[in-house]
Amino acid sequence: MENSGFTELSDIKKENPFRVPGHYFDDFTARLQYRIESESTSAAPQEKNSVIRLLKPILGIAASFALVFLLVYWPVKFINNSSLVDNNSEGTTSQHELINYVEGVDENSFYALFSEPTVKTEITEDDVVSYMNNNLSDYEIYSGYENNN
Amino acid sequence: MESEDHNLIEQLRTTEKRDQAFYTLVNQYKERLYWHIRKIVISHEDTDDVLQNTFIKAWKGLENFREESSLFTWLFRIATNESLTFMTSAKKRNFVALNEAGNFLEKKLLTDPYFEGDQLQLKLQQAILQLPDKQRIVFNMRYFDELKYEDMAEILDTSVGALKASYHHAAKKIEDFFKNQV
Repeated sequence: MENSGFTELSDIKKENPFRVPGHYFDDFTARLQYRIESESTSAAPQEKNSVIRLLKPILGIAASFALVFLLVYWPVKFINNSSLVDNNSEGTTSQHELINYVEGVDENSFYALFSEPTVKTEITEDDVVSYMNNNLSDYEIYSGYENNN
Repeated sequence: MESEDHNLIEQLRTTEKRDQAFYTLVNQYKERLYWHIRKIVISHEDTDDVLQNTFIKAWKGLENFREESSLFTWLFRIATNESLTFMTSAKKRNFVALNEAGNFLEKKLLTDPYFEGDQLQLKLQQAILQLPDKQRIVFNMRYFDELKYEDMAEILDTSVGALKASYHHAAKKIEDFFKNQV
């Protein structure tokens, strides 16, 4: 056994058994410098964009609502429109019926409706007297007579 | 060393000189920190990530640095914390149970293309990987890096006595590991 003679740590040489890739230490400072510079430059725009970063979740929620609105509102609107079209078609039907009715009337009788003289009712003196007797008091009749004179 | 540190700290606090001073600091400590991290996370790629994170954290925390501790202690403390954080999340990511952490790291060691140790060094690393993370860090810092207990106490934020005890427990476990292999 190769370890049979080992009794103390001092039996082992203290040499460093680890190695590094070639030029590692020569390149290290430049790589570190690059990382520090890139971290400091990437940190600056982050501060400028902090408002956008804060708004991002809100914008996300707004976009979700817009999507839901589009998915729900448009189909509902589409369905309503089609039912309105049905209602309108009923209205159109009744309009057509009216037009048909009017068209069905004889032209002479149509104009006769406008030219027909209104019925005049003759009001006699007796009618006035009986109206006044029924609706007005003696005082009102007397005061009206005085005012006229 | 202390006056060098003091000059560097002064430059790090001056806005115009900060960038240059920071990369001087990186060049000064990158290798020591790399090996410290490598012994904890084992793989080179992971070590590279943790080392970069360590320096980025140091860069961001320059204003908080107080001269109460040395730059070396401050950087080692950041590197240790970053390594432990990395290990914790790596174990969680890979659903590693507490008692299987050693095996998890051993697999990394055995597949590491940048491990060039002999059989005995491999066995030693396998033994070290069986230790709990914090004990492993103490052992590596004392045995390989030969750091003073006082410095270790400052880096790991613990007492010298606790560190000595931890190191001796670790050394005993490693020796037992080897004896059991025979």
